[in-house]
Amino acid sequence: MLFHDWLKDDSKIILFDGAMGTEIFKRGIEPGKIPDLLNIEKPDIISDIHKSYYDVGSDMCQTCTFGSSSLNLKKYKLEDRIEEINQKALENIKKICPPNSLIVGDIGPSGEFRPPVGNITIEQWQASFANQVKILENGVDLWHIETISDIEEMKTAIKAVKEASKKPIIASMTYKKTPRGYFTIMGDSLKKCIQILEQENVDVIGSNCTIDSNEMIGLIEESVKLTKKPLSAKPNAGQPKIDENYRPFYEYPPNDFARDIHDMINLGVKIVGGCCGTSPQTIKEIRKIIYSL
Amino acid sequence: MSQENLYGEISDAIVNLNEDKARELANKAIDENFNILNVIEEGFGAGIRRVGELWDAGEFFLPELMRGAKIMQDCLDLLIPHLQGGIERKTLGKVVIATIEGDIHSIGKTIVATMLRAYGFEVYDLGADVPAEKIIDEAIEKNVDIIGVSALLTTTMLGQKKVIEILKKKGISNKFKVILGGAPVTSKWVEECGADGYAENAVEAVELAKSLLHI
Repeated sequence: MLFHDWLKDDSKIILFDGAMGTEIFKRGIEPGKIPDLLNIEKPDIISDIHKSYYDVGSDMCQTCTFGSSSLNLKKYKLEDRIEEINQKALENIKKICPPNSLIVGDIGPSGEFRPPVGNITIEQWQASFANQVKILENGVDLWHIETISDIEEMKTAIKAVKEASKKPIIASMTYKKTPRGYFTIMGDSLKKCIQILEQENVDVIGSNCTIDSNEMIGLIEESVKLTKKPLSAKPNAGQPKIDENYRPFYEYPPNDFARDIHDMINLGVKIVGGCCGTSPQTIKEIRKIIYSL
Repeated sequence: MSQENLYGEISDAIVNLNEDKARELANKAIDENFNILNVIEEGFGAGIRRVGELWDAGEFFLPELMRGAKIMQDCLDLLIPHLQGGIERKTLGKVVIATIEGDIHSIGKTIVATMLRAYGFEVYDLGADVPAEKIIDEAIEKNVDIIGVSALLTTTMLGQKKVIEILKKKGISNKFKVILGGAPVTSKWVEECGADGYAENAVEAVELAKSLLHI
């Protein structure tokens, strides 16, 4: 399988995609309550965004299904449309995915927490992820479980994927930087997460969102000391701001972001891309750096 | 046990997230007829402030913050009926809080609501995805002092400004203090909206609410 070949090829740096939400906004569309619904309402926009990433050199892009698990859709009273949304998301990316490129099934957090923070149970998580996975399994090449802040939720999502699929898994937690190092907001340390993800035997250990590219260099520095597994990095382009016309923007320029990614590649990261605030321009800059290696 | 020693033990019980011990000490304060207001402020209040400091230091995370605040709230429920003077303790103030319409990110807002309650505010938490008009209607009906509006997305934070615009249009903006929260909110945005303040975290939010009401 192509992805495994890429992982085995020491000279290959795998280029992932950038953000979806901010790109939707740039096309003059109000993201509304949940971008995932645009898979049905504005399929051409979603396809166009995927295409813009493949065009500038992404080896793989992820489906617009970050919020399309049962628990998350339920908050928008869309749980009945889970099949339709995930199915359309697959169609929107499949029709423009170039040859020798891959489609990644995106699984985001449920948005629900265990006690004492929330009231969810492991079984509810499991059912929610399983519902989404069984639909996406029918078209993706591999999985990206991302932006997870509770390692127990990650374990549950991994289990749900493995019960329905044999495809590779990238498991990305989201960390904040504290005076004591990198932790999720639920208090899981980087070391603990990496240990557990090794035990779960995922194919790639990743981190995404919350921190910017500069802060993620330090996280990668620590990660390479903790595991021999391939690593993935999808940081944010700084923090979101609002300009004088009330348009959101991210302060971190694509060049600076790409330079930070270069540092991470030098440290040994295998898969690179961007999260909130990154654009095809960002991915284009990273592609230039990969070519120059 | 002296009242001062009791304060220290209560504060430790909160920081150790020891619910049984905290309740035991609250009951002891009632039995021994200690000054309940001081017990709340200097025992439980000091404890929850230490919890906030541990959060800043990266020692405590969301589960500890929520547990600490819930233990404190349970103990306050025990203590408040026993406040001296035979009158019900006046709340620090009334707050209506919500995540704005279009945004379902409720965790930050819930933490702030929990901490405000823990400190003795009367809080009406309207949940997430709440229209600006509804927030204002509730604020008027409950006669609150503070309106708290949360937004995690740059696309929904415009709704925070809408709340203030509606208040101005109705000519009632001087009746309420409006505070904003959420990752993208900055002091510049607060100024732009004409809000009364914002806080970086739940502990700061409590301090902000107290300072706005001159407590």
